[in-house]
Amino acid sequence: MRMAVPELDAGLFTTDGELVIRSWNGWLARVTGIGAEEALGRPLATLFPEIEARGLLSRFRRVLAEGVVEVLSPRLHHYLIPCPPPFPSRRFPLMQQRVTILPLREGERVVGTMVLLEDVTARLEAEREPKATGMPEEVLVRGLREERWPSRQLALEQLAGEGGDETIRALLQLLQEGHEDLNVLTSVLHVLIHTDADITAPLCRFLEAPDAALRTYAALALGERRDREALPALLRALDDPDANVRYHAIEALGKLQATEAVDRLLQFVESRDFFLAFPALDALARIGDPGIAPRLVPLLRDELLRAAAVDVLGHLGDADVVAPLVALLGEPGMPVRTIALALATLYDRYEAQYGEGAVIAELARDALDARAVPPLLEEIREAQGDDLRPLALVLGWLEGPEVERALVRLLAEPAVHKEVVQALVRYGPRVTALLVDLLRSEDPGIGRAAAVALGRIGDPAAVPALVEALSGEEGLAIEAAGALARIGDRRACEPLLALLGHPNAAVRRAAIGALNSLGHPEMPGRIREMLLDPDPRVRESATRIAGYFAYPECRERLLERCQDEDEAVRSAAVEVLPYLEEARSMALLARALREDTPRVRAAAARALGQVEGGDALTALLEALGDTEPWVRYQAVRAIERHASPEAVEPLAQLVRSDSAIPVRAAAIEALGAIGGSRVVALLAPLVDAEEADLARSAIAALGRIAHPDAILPLLEALRSPDVMRRVEAAAALGRHAESGVVELLQWTAAVDPDPRVVQAAVDALERMATPEALAALLSLSADPGRHEVCIRALARPSQGRIEALARGLHHPNPAVRCAVVEVLARLKHPAASDLLAGALEDGHPSVRLAAVTALARLGNRRAEQRVAALAREDPDLVVRRAARQALGLRQEEG
Amino acid sequence: MGFYRETLGLSDSAFVLLRDLIHERTGLYFEDGKREMLADKVAPRLIELGIESFLDYYYRLKYDEGNEWGHLMDALAVPETFFWREMDQVHALVEILVPEYVESARPAPLRIWSAACSSGEEPLSIAMALHEAGWFDRFPIQIDASDASPAAIARARLGVYRERSFRSLPPGLRQKYFREEAGGWRISPALHARVRWHLANLANLNEIAPLAGAPFIFCRNVFLYFSNEAIRRTVSCFVRHMPRPGYLFLGASESLLRVTNELELCQVGSAMVYVKR
Repeated sequence: MRMAVPELDAGLFTTDGELVIRSWNGWLARVTGIGAEEALGRPLATLFPEIEARGLLSRFRRVLAEGVVEVLSPRLHHYLIPCPPPFPSRRFPLMQQRVTILPLREGERVVGTMVLLEDVTARLEAEREPKATGMPEEVLVRGLREERWPSRQLALEQLAGEGGDETIRALLQLLQEGHEDLNVLTSVLHVLIHTDADITAPLCRFLEAPDAALRTYAALALGERRDREALPALLRALDDPDANVRYHAIEALGKLQATEAVDRLLQFVESRDFFLAFPALDALARIGDPGIAPRLVPLLRDELLRAAAVDVLGHLGDADVVAPLVALLGEPGMPVRTIALALATLYDRYEAQYGEGAVIAELARDALDARAVPPLLEEIREAQGDDLRPLALVLGWLEGPEVERALVRLLAEPAVHKEVVQALVRYGPRVTALLVDLLRSEDPGIGRAAAVALGRIGDPAAVPALVEALSGEEGLAIEAAGALARIGDRRACEPLLALLGHPNAAVRRAAIGALNSLGHPEMPGRIREMLLDPDPRVRESATRIAGYFAYPECRERLLERCQDEDEAVRSAAVEVLPYLEEARSMALLARALREDTPRVRAAAARALGQVEGGDALTALLEALGDTEPWVRYQAVRAIERHASPEAVEPLAQLVRSDSAIPVRAAAIEALGAIGGSRVVALLAPLVDAEEADLARSAIAALGRIAHPDAILPLLEALRSPDVMRRVEAAAALGRHAESGVVELLQWTAAVDPDPRVVQAAVDALERMATPEALAALLSLSADPGRHEVCIRALARPSQGRIEALARGLHHPNPAVRCAVVEVLARLKHPAASDLLAGALEDGHPSVRLAAVTALARLGNRRAEQRVAALAREDPDLVVRRAARQALGLRQEEG
Repeated sequence: MGFYRETLGLSDSAFVLLRDLIHERTGLYFEDGKREMLADKVAPRLIELGIESFLDYYYRLKYDEGNEWGHLMDALAVPETFFWREMDQVHALVEILVPEYVESARPAPLRIWSAACSSGEEPLSIAMALHEAGWFDRFPIQIDASDASPAAIARARLGVYRERSFRSLPPGLRQKYFREEAGGWRISPALHARVRWHLANLANLNEIAPLAGAPFIFCRNVFLYFSNEAIRRTVSCFVRHMPRPGYLFLGASESLLRVTNELELCQVGSAMVYVKR
């Protein structure tokens, strides 16, 4: 295995599967005093024995076994490799390091690790610098009792950041003895919640204290700290004799997303205990186990808990909860908005995850009846803002004249146009008359939305009204043109031709687009006449249409338009020249590029990007010296399409010295299209350019160049403090197939704090779609914070995806195997379903549960026998319950 | 070449660049789900300029000197406004706050600023309400109105309005303050002259600072389209320049709760107002 180890301002080394060092970069040699020749070939644990003594080798072994990324936080582990800090430090005798351990792969096999060490000593030193006070810690602890908030706040900030072991002990004692003082309580809790010190054990001991208040605060603090080590103690606290303790234990378990607590929490909910049922419902929502939904359905009949149960069902429920939710709508006194929101949430989730929002809509339609109409209409009349959309969505699933009228009135609300138009289109021609009336609305937004809906309905009865709308307000005319094109009725041609001279360019363009779509046998003759129209706007429009169809009968007049007296006409004419297959085109373009006005020269430059051959390139290279920056810009863009090495030096000159940033940025991107090592050397320094557009272009260009030298500057850009540069760098790296790129992207996705960068890295891995990249995504999916983004990416349909995913069903980590099941379920493919059936045999109950749930939703009958066996025999109660539910579902359908 | 919007594809990267530039310069923020809306609003500008890509338009906006930003603001402006909209706050101003101001001998003239006035219906509604209460005869009052859209300010300066603007105005007031003419209804010149019209972008703190010294600022139904960060910047500018007490009126569905605590939300009459104390 070979891995290029670039020079970085950070430590980078690799090991093989036995943790023998295989590469060692110059930075490490400098800071450790251990050169590469001494390090290479030696086991990591031999070179640094304390790594094993400190228990850190297990992290390496986990990376090797499971292909995950491990991060060693400086706050907890301080360093991996002991070495002095780069500058004398008051606080740290050794360099503080942030360490990332990544899997190195060959194919899908993890064959080693790559380790990145970043020196964070200076940052931590600065963070812990006391603010001017220099006060001893005991003074700060006393400061927590201060009446005045600013004094307490100062003490809090310092203690939370730097409280040592003695301080933490003092604070725990203070909590135990002084919690009746509210100032003390809030202050101490704040410090304990935010401290890096390990205080789980003492707080868990507080959960057994005789003082109920202390037990309560301990539960609160453990929940805020989200420390899973406290789980057993918190579970026991659910039986505490004090209701406040139970309350906070419930909340804490929700924050920990403790699936282990689900059954107990359900018991609290089903007990209908007013004080505890609500936090239990909230905790269940946070935990997110969809299997609980059937047990919440009966709560829909409980007046007090109903609204909360509806909300949770919207987030966790499946298709089975649609009918019970919908049934409520027809009853008096129901929380209609909450129910509509739950149904909309369910719809959106199904649409996003499975592309099956229509299933929810269909089920709702089947269950809805006329009794639901009046309450929905009443709510919609009063609703505003975010409340509107769910109500409009659900109303759109109903039928009837009252519903149709209400929906049509909702076209006045731009926020729900999409839902309303969708529903109206579903109603079809029966709402044509209602919509036609709206074309004349005083509100232009309503008229436009009505035109869009009419176009999608496609009823020719709307044509006369849409034709009339062409002479209305400009936005309406544009939408009416689009609608007429969709309907495809040639009665619209003549009125559309009349718009070709409209003063508004967007209206003219919409008319052009509609005419291009409609076509008409008389068009060539009409357009030929219009090419000589006295109105330049008409000539320009005719030029575009003639160019689009390349009518032979229009050819000569079209070529003449290249010398039209009007600049816009000439510009349109040169734009269409490449599409005419006309020998004279090149000469006309070259002349326009040399001699015409800036606008026409820019159009000619752009058009030459579509013309092959050396003459076009020659003309474009000459145009790089044009006095107008927008002409140079279009010339560069066109040269990019040619991607000729001949252009490297002229483009490099522009990058160095053009006065216009857009020209330089375009030249950078054009160089990226050409590629090669010389280009990489030119572009690499620009990833750090002060000017953001130049840096962005350089990063994108390096992404296009298939050369290993392009990787290091992209890696530097991945570490940029600028978020957008990191996003661009992740996307650019994804276009490289060199060894090590998958690891870098996996690292980025695992550790970058910005979700946009994570998304970019995940998308890059998904696009690469190599077995290594998919394996990296599967490993990432085990991280709860990356789970959904990875699942969504993996579930995008792609050739060969299923086979690659199948191998993930043998991953050592059950969380990864569960992720594979989830992805297979979303792919909705017969081959995927067969694999899911295989997952019913998995050794881990969580995987079997995921497979049962997925197969139930997909309705796979072939697995029914096996599911029945699980329902009888599975050793895990939750799996047996899910299997019974799955069979129950199918029995109802049968 | 199909419909013009379909040929002008708005790629992910161009959308982000354009969206972020517009946000930086105007405060308006188009979330990811509003990509099509942004493309729809901006596409006519591309066509007008003969530009074929949104990336090219981004460069044109960012680096070209000229008045394209004004045209873009016209395209992005949300034109929905009408006379006598959300009048609780105007009534609170006229019936409670103006009398308090006058009685406490605060400086003359009493300044009112309608920021984001669009085509002028809001400041003219305020002027009508003040005139109905006789305030123009009792105390010097100066009403400034601004918008970032040159086309909107041009319509405001013209002072001619169509039927849709009158849907909430009591008929008696229309008869009193407007005359019908070809093309619509013209505001009374005397009332129209009560308002001074300005072109000002709420995201450009230099442009709004001179106006923000007013003790009464109406900035309604515009922050809906801003990011929290842009709201924070603009409101901080208001707070820096407003006298004490100063009153900021926002739209009924707007709130500064998650944005800033520099102002206190208070009830005045039946209206909610943010107050600088």
